[in-house]
Amino acid sequence: MEMLLTIRQAFALLFSGDPELWTTIWISLRVSLIALAIATPVAVTVGYALAQTRFPGRRVLIVLIQGLLSFPTVVVGLVLYILLTRQGPLGSWQLLFTQDAMIIGQAVIAFPVLAAFALAAVQGADPRAHETAVSLGASPLRAALTTLLEVRFAVVAGVFNGFGRVISEVGCAMMVGGNIAGVTRNIPTAIALETSKGDFAQGVALGMVLMLFALGISIALGLLQGRGGLK
Amino acid sequence: MSTLLSFARLRKRFGERQLLELGAFEIGEGEAYVITGDNGSGKTTLLRILAGLEPGDIEEFRYRGTPVTQGRLPENARHDMVYVHQHPYLFHTTVVHNVGYGLAARGIARAERRRQVDEAIAWAGVDHLRSLPPSKLSGGEKQRVALARAKVLEPHLFLLDEPTANLDGEARAQVIALIRQLVQDKNSLLIACHDRELIELPGMRRFHLEKGKLISA
Repeated sequence: MEMLLTIRQAFALLFSGDPELWTTIWISLRVSLIALAIATPVAVTVGYALAQTRFPGRRVLIVLIQGLLSFPTVVVGLVLYILLTRQGPLGSWQLLFTQDAMIIGQAVIAFPVLAAFALAAVQGADPRAHETAVSLGASPLRAALTTLLEVRFAVVAGVFNGFGRVISEVGCAMMVGGNIAGVTRNIPTAIALETSKGDFAQGVALGMVLMLFALGISIALGLLQGRGGLK
Repeated sequence: MSTLLSFARLRKRFGERQLLELGAFEIGEGEAYVITGDNGSGKTTLLRILAGLEPGDIEEFRYRGTPVTQGRLPENARHDMVYVHQHPYLFHTTVVHNVGYGLAARGIARAERRRQVDEAIAWAGVDHLRSLPPSKLSGGEKQRVALARAKVLEPHLFLLDEPTANLDGEARAQVIALIRQLVQDKNSLLIACHDRELIELPGMRRFHLEKGKLISA
């Protein structure tokens, strides 16, 4: 009964337009989308370069990126905290406990996911795609963009997966954001806080939003796989 | 006949195996050449080396008399040659986009591009397919679109790899008709193939690749 009551309160909170709750949701979306916007071009370029070029140390870089896929986000937060703290090497930037610090952290967390997907996508691309572009007179940049467009569904699937990873991570956001209400409190850190305070309704409401995002990502991936001819 | 492309020697080795060991060879402007040879004799590799898609050891490589470096062809030479795969790759867009790709890469304005694409599509007889994605095309239709995509660029040298392989009946006849027209229009072509009808096209210079050497047939 208590659980049903909590769920009812959670729905009531969501539809009441509670400003604190919606600010938290907005901060989550804003931080994660900006982090992805920053990380995607860099990661896709790195993934493409690793797939298409051969150079000493390439294998090491690939193993490193694959290793970073399962890197604990709280450790990313710890390293970033040490760098950004007042006494740290980047302390003068005064970024600790700001959304910018959270964006940097999430971009770092998303990077290996995005790069690994781009790498796998380009490695799996038909080699004739790039050759055809080159043979038709495309510049190296145009040929690269053409190849990426040919595997766009796999690359975008990487972006969705990256979004899924950063929107739900709590460790890094908590450490470098500080969970300040209305400033750096996002959905996962708010859930952690409200639950520890015993306010389950707020936690469940935010949890439902996170699950809605996950469902949206899953549907989008399914649609993409259909359009990309994937099974 | 002016010489379009020439080399004094061309070699290609895969590990211990010396695949190609060619002596002097030249391709004349407006001439059509066909290279026959067993599977694995190196026909495709030769075309790919000339197209700059694969490294090869070429001595005294010249394009229109000017020394060039294999794999680092100057832009005019790169734009003058088009290589068409045995199984052409069409980008996952539409036939119109595919045919216009090379023109876009050359910075041709949209209106002019559309006019040239329309001409090439009509030439290849694929007008009814213009808005279709490649997944909806048959092997013969893909080959004709690939030929239209190459012809629209008005290259000085077509490098065609087994253009009728895996085609039969009407599809093969349509592709041969297009190539016959390219030969008649005095385009330079270097074709690797087994197809007797293509080999015996009038005006075709025939070479046979055997044990890494090109022999005039």
